[in-house]
Amino acid sequence: MKRRLPLLLGLALVPGPLACGKRPQTAAPTPPAPAAAPATPVATASGPRPKTLLRGAAVMTAAGKIYERADVLLEGDQIVAVGPELAAPGDAKIVDLSGKTLTPGIIDTHSHIGVYAAPGLAAHADGNEAIAPNTAGVRAVDAYFPQDPQIDRARAGGITTMQILPGSANLFGGRSVTVRLTPGVRSAAEARFPGAPEGLKMACGENPKRVYGQKSGPATRMGNVAGYRDAFQKASEYQRSWTRYRKEHAEWLAKKDQPEPPADDDDDDDRKATKDGKPAKKKKGDEPQAPAVDFAQETVAGVLRGEILVHNHCYRADEMAIMLDLAATYGFKIRSFHHATDAYKIADKLAAAGTAASVWADWWGFKAESFDGIRENAALLTQAGARAIIHSDSAVGIQRLNQEAAKAMHAGRRAGIPVSDDQALRWITANPAWALGIDAKTGTLEPGKLADLVVWSGNPFSVYTVAEQVYIAGEQVYVRGSLEPRTDFELGYLPGDLERSSPPLATPNAGPVR
Amino acid sequence: MSIPYSRLCSALAWGLTCALMSAPVAAAPAPTAAPTPERAGPVYLVGGELHVGDGTVIKDAVIAMDGGLFTIVGGPEARAKLLDESMAVDLKGKLITPGLFAAETQLGIVEIDLEGSTRDDSRASEHPVRAAYEAAAALNAESALIPIQAIDGVTSAAVVPTGGLISGQVAIIDLVYGDHRRLAAQPRAAISAHLGQAHAGSRAATLAKLREVLGDARGYPARRAAYDRAQSRELSAHPQDLEALQPIFKQQAVLTLSADRASDILAALDLARDFNLKIAIVGGAEAWKVADELARARVPVILEATLNIPGGFDSMGARLDNAALLHRAGVTVALLAPGGTHNLRSLPQGAGIAVAHGLPWEAALTAITLAPARAYGVERTHGSVSVGKVANLVVWSGDPFEFSSAPTEVYVRGVKLRGTTRQNLLRDRYRDLKQFSRKDK
Repeated sequence: MKRRLPLLLGLALVPGPLACGKRPQTAAPTPPAPAAAPATPVATASGPRPKTLLRGAAVMTAAGKIYERADVLLEGDQIVAVGPELAAPGDAKIVDLSGKTLTPGIIDTHSHIGVYAAPGLAAHADGNEAIAPNTAGVRAVDAYFPQDPQIDRARAGGITTMQILPGSANLFGGRSVTVRLTPGVRSAAEARFPGAPEGLKMACGENPKRVYGQKSGPATRMGNVAGYRDAFQKASEYQRSWTRYRKEHAEWLAKKDQPEPPADDDDDDDRKATKDGKPAKKKKGDEPQAPAVDFAQETVAGVLRGEILVHNHCYRADEMAIMLDLAATYGFKIRSFHHATDAYKIADKLAAAGTAASVWADWWGFKAESFDGIRENAALLTQAGARAIIHSDSAVGIQRLNQEAAKAMHAGRRAGIPVSDDQALRWITANPAWALGIDAKTGTLEPGKLADLVVWSGNPFSVYTVAEQVYIAGEQVYVRGSLEPRTDFELGYLPGDLERSSPPLATPNAGPVR
Repeated sequence: MSIPYSRLCSALAWGLTCALMSAPVAAAPAPTAAPTPERAGPVYLVGGELHVGDGTVIKDAVIAMDGGLFTIVGGPEARAKLLDESMAVDLKGKLITPGLFAAETQLGIVEIDLEGSTRDDSRASEHPVRAAYEAAAALNAESALIPIQAIDGVTSAAVVPTGGLISGQVAIIDLVYGDHRRLAAQPRAAISAHLGQAHAGSRAATLAKLREVLGDARGYPARRAAYDRAQSRELSAHPQDLEALQPIFKQQAVLTLSADRASDILAALDLARDFNLKIAIVGGAEAWKVADELARARVPVILEATLNIPGGFDSMGARLDNAALLHRAGVTVALLAPGGTHNLRSLPQGAGIAVAHGLPWEAALTAITLAPARAYGVERTHGSVSVGKVANLVVWSGDPFEFSSAPTEVYVRGVKLRGTTRQNLLRDRYRDLKQFSRKDK
């Protein structure tokens, strides 16, 4: 194991099998790329990008600054300026937001909206491929239902981006997808956050044990860890076989165009391949055959290459410590633990490992591994220099992540742990953006970031405050009382829907959601 | 002291033992970790702004508690009634409310949801009628959950059995940690039953079965002797369960009916009318659709303020202003804690969310104090700050619904809570991680 570590680290620098596709003349098969995110230019055709000046709100940037009163200038899909008394460009639309508060769009690292769509019908249970403990080859994007009415409610709570994860029945649940809550999309691909990396959902502890204990196993935490080790080991070997293949293929290509050497001149490379246990080429000059593509291994190998971010459902401190050790052994990073009710016990280790913790404000006790949850979790993590995130894992909680952050912030302060408003806001904006690998694009109100933002009726940490407007990439997607998008599912169910004389609901943006 | 012993006993009614009055209760040594009740001696609070719980507000209030009950409640003029004003605690500038009342909980009968060995909320039985099952008999006064809720102002809870068609007897408890003998204030306040597809996979079957059981139960006292002689036809439930249902026919106990769909709620109203029952609706996702009928029938609704997801075809009409619409129509609305039994402390958050969606502030306070007491039929002893009621009270650092506020003092049965919680002990153990770092290597 120790000997392999440098090799694994080396592999992380080598382009993966995906890179094969770039070789122009090769016929080598290419493992399928994750469905490419469509480049969705927002409101920027060829003409000038429309400008909007949001004027006079309290502005909480989640980047260290809180203005009592400032302006935010949007151009196209971007924020171009933030500060007090900005000069309005002549062609800018001016929106007066006096008395309101502006924050970045809220980001949730943990949701199952769309893969467990409402209503909670048996037909809608698409979040747990609970047929085997390792289903790393499945993808949430293949089940995400853009007509889930829960999406509308999350948006009305100020959510602009969320990570949709497979459930936690399996050690390896599958790939996650990060989506924007833009209304009116007709496919998961359209909902994807452009350029966001994929995630891998892993699960520790009770759930895999419970689901597989009476079946194939794992039946214990020992079995869980054996399952992770096995998968990372196999993925390392899978990686190696592709690396070897690529090297051989490159050499073959280089030789192909050279004049044919004398027939009896043995080739060193062929002998090496034989020593490695691979079938020796029958005849010099044959094109090396690519290893078989395995979608599950491809996912885990993506983690080893640093391309796929690990999101690890894990409650107990000791289990998180085991996972950090496992990650160090195989040379990958755990981007964020999720739920992590014990994270405060190992906040120093999390800080040192650069692993975030996505936690609830106050959930605890529903299972043995969550029995030690405390409300100061996020505050203690922040104090220790670890990256804290407040997540929801709930279609109800996601509608008020601002309130959950407020709860955790005040719990910390009451216990004498200093937490600033800006830090608490980061728990639901900048920090989740980092955990999802999109922090260069969103998560703060700063020039150059996407115009993902929320206009609140007041201080977002008050229980009485509601989101009044939501912008996603510069597009106004929600206005309380007048622009409240509704999915197809809900058409016909609101009072008065069926009493209209003509087809009233041709667009997804008609009518209020209560 | 201020009111005669006998009156106290009748006011305390049912479960609250009058022994409480007899001199200092020899408190069993309780774990130091938990808020420990002291003796319920006289306590005077003056000068605070009292939100009584019934919608009224008393500025510069005078409150006296003694023997576990409120003995004086009034404005500044009531100061004259205090025996020794020098004992009074000045709460000038502070906001005072009744202790919060958590509806529909499993507090003290479930410790960890997913661990069956810690659950006593349900009688494992094939039979759907379990009316005799008593939550009170299973209560654990040393549940770690109790101090965690109490320290945040929750002083009473309805502890409700689950499962089956008729789940059993609802106990009303006051959150006196560690006091097994006196945790239950009223062990049989209500009986919990369910509509919708609770029985035989069909709401029609559910209703038919409920009517059959209620019919048999109502007729049971007259048939008891015949039954004992085996001269009765077969009855739809065990005699114990039929006996347990008797108080609902005298309206001495409430029948709570869980129902979300508007049609189910109407069916509940019909059932109540036909059997002359005092009922409360639990759930009520679509209650706003039949608000006027609920108001006319004076049937309270116990609901969750955050419920706006069409989680099933029974709750397609779920909306955030459900509470506000019902209140406007004159329905008694009680709010559930959004966080469930482990987080009953989130009751104020639920109230604040209801306010943000149209419920008046005082009505929201009533919805987490007096209204749940009414819904379970214990408003004579619980739910508001008034003379003769159990002295459950909270002093707040600010607006109780705001996250920035917290209780500064909590009184349960007239005794100020002290001590801490298991969660606080965990927090303090891991506050400084340096002490653990040597073990890393």
